[in-house]
Amino acid sequence: MEFFGNLQLGFGVALAWDNLFYCFVGVFLGTLIGVIPGVGVLAAISMLFPLTYYLEPTAALIMLAGIWYGTTYGGSTASILLNIPGTPANAVTCLDGYPMARQGRGGVALFLTTIASFFGGTFGILMVMLFSPVIAGYALSFGAAEYFALMLLGLVAASTISAGSPIKGLAMVFLGVGLGLVGMDSQTAVARYTFGQIELLDGLSLIALAMGLFGVSEVITSVRRVRASDIDPESLRFRAMLPTREDASRSWLPLFRGASVGSFFGTLPGTGPAIAAFMAYALEKRASATPERFGTGAVEGIMAPEASNNASDQTAFIPTLSLGVPGSATMALLLGAMMIHGISPGPNLITNEPELFWGLIMSFWIGNVMLLILNIPMIGLWVRLLTIPYHILYPSVLMFICIGAYSVSLSGVDVWFVLFFGALGYVLRVLDFPAAPLLLGFVLGPMMEEHFRRAMLLARGDVFAMLSRPITMTICAVIVAVLAWSAWSSWKRSRAAARAQV
Amino acid sequence: MRAHDYKDILGGLLLIVVGLFFGLQALWNYDLGTMRRMGPGMFPAMVGGLLVGFGVILLISGWFRRGEWPVWRIWSPLFVLSGVATFAVLIGPFGLIPAVVGVVAVSSLAELRVRPVPLAILAGMLSVLAWVVFRLGLGLAMPPFAWPF
Repeated sequence: MEFFGNLQLGFGVALAWDNLFYCFVGVFLGTLIGVIPGVGVLAAISMLFPLTYYLEPTAALIMLAGIWYGTTYGGSTASILLNIPGTPANAVTCLDGYPMARQGRGGVALFLTTIASFFGGTFGILMVMLFSPVIAGYALSFGAAEYFALMLLGLVAASTISAGSPIKGLAMVFLGVGLGLVGMDSQTAVARYTFGQIELLDGLSLIALAMGLFGVSEVITSVRRVRASDIDPESLRFRAMLPTREDASRSWLPLFRGASVGSFFGTLPGTGPAIAAFMAYALEKRASATPERFGTGAVEGIMAPEASNNASDQTAFIPTLSLGVPGSATMALLLGAMMIHGISPGPNLITNEPELFWGLIMSFWIGNVMLLILNIPMIGLWVRLLTIPYHILYPSVLMFICIGAYSVSLSGVDVWFVLFFGALGYVLRVLDFPAAPLLLGFVLGPMMEEHFRRAMLLARGDVFAMLSRPITMTICAVIVAVLAWSAWSSWKRSRAAARAQV
Repeated sequence: MRAHDYKDILGGLLLIVVGLFFGLQALWNYDLGTMRRMGPGMFPAMVGGLLVGFGVILLISGWFRRGEWPVWRIWSPLFVLSGVATFAVLIGPFGLIPAVVGVVAVSSLAELRVRPVPLAILAGMLSVLAWVVFRLGLGLAMPPFAWPF
């Protein structure tokens, strides 16, 4: 059967020695970064992004993807032990994980969340394997108008669904699209917004933008705020980690429910692992016969969200790999890594680059197994990391950012751009603008412009003709619904806030 | 609580300025083309227009809402960004290790506390690490030391 042939192909690629090595590097660094609060996934991926220039595209993607799902594994450690989420995706895990740790069951919680993460990840990978080829096959009939509408939907959903003001999110998307315009216009070869600078003809560097916006500005806001703390290592002996029979029997259904919820929310644009985890927690609490136990150390309250966020980490690859439309800033970075190597994302990816596609997917599995090993026997090592003070951490982070930016073209110009985007990122943080939509707009902007111009040419300049094809109409209706919903909910929120003031 | 939401007012103003910059630059200098055959200026002009629009909405809604002044930290951005600048200045003429020491030393001032001995140890260890990882490991063309004169 073709399916098993693909599996074999994928394992062949993923089990090659250097791919195994980069997979390990990715999940190792991912766990490391996930464990330490104050260094986010985006900052981490953008810090290591320059390395991918020197690697094969498959190895590069395997490593970057490993960082992405590895952080979600590691992130639960700080949530459980310190009540500080290591990444936003693990925020919900604090609610029941920290009470468990205070009851001396921190080891059990860490063990169970690792199992839940593994289960969720595996479930998500299965979804990716089953659905990506189907969706890609369907998408082969898409034209420029459909792609333009899909990308617009991705941008609108990603900027308005997550927390905060939808106007600010949308503004950041279009600021990103604007920054993406810098450089030579692909159709007329006119240099736009370059002001005679030759360095700008190829456009602003995605690496400098990501490292400045997420790495540098995160350091600026975390200095003198993030504190290291001490943890009792006794509760983390392997013996103390084994769950009781009651824990195990309570965990089955939450695992399945969490993984299903996570798989669904992972594929949607704008709803990353954080929302998936939250939804799974809410569902579990509603489904439970004893909802009052939640928040006091209920096992279900850590199993469901941890299965959910890892499942959604994996299924986020479905739109990215099968349509070439990333749903989050992290996926946009991965897409950017592909494009740097000249691989054009889209429905043809699976047929044109089967080694890359199946190799990447199979590496997820290998990575998840590695994470299982990294997180259960080696948990003590990660816990010790939590005690590294931030004043040692952040100069190291900055050093890696600087060298990384410099290494791309061995010129100081990119380092100056890191500085510029770091300052911009800080201003945006102070004014409560979300930076992730900006990155998404920056990556998608040039593609969107190209599809828009091509679609308008085909529709003879008539916007309504362009949008009246059945698939585009459906997508446009969804866009309008998302906008209406977010306008309504932000109106409701502001009214509630106004009432609270009175 | 202030009478207006100054964060959003300032954010709106910034968006309007940036949007005008993108839009006017496109209108004045790049060919718009027609809706059917768009020139290089059409899409940027639309993006600029949208940015101005979002800025205006933000500005107006911020005016009619109570809020706070934005809180700026002065020393952290100053020292962290100066650290990056130090690296950018030193890496070309002086080489990798002086640049690493520069970024570590300047950025650690953001702690507002100088610990000379731990700082020296950290800078030394990171210099070795950078040299091993990037020069030996990845083989990048970065000389550890250089002398421009």
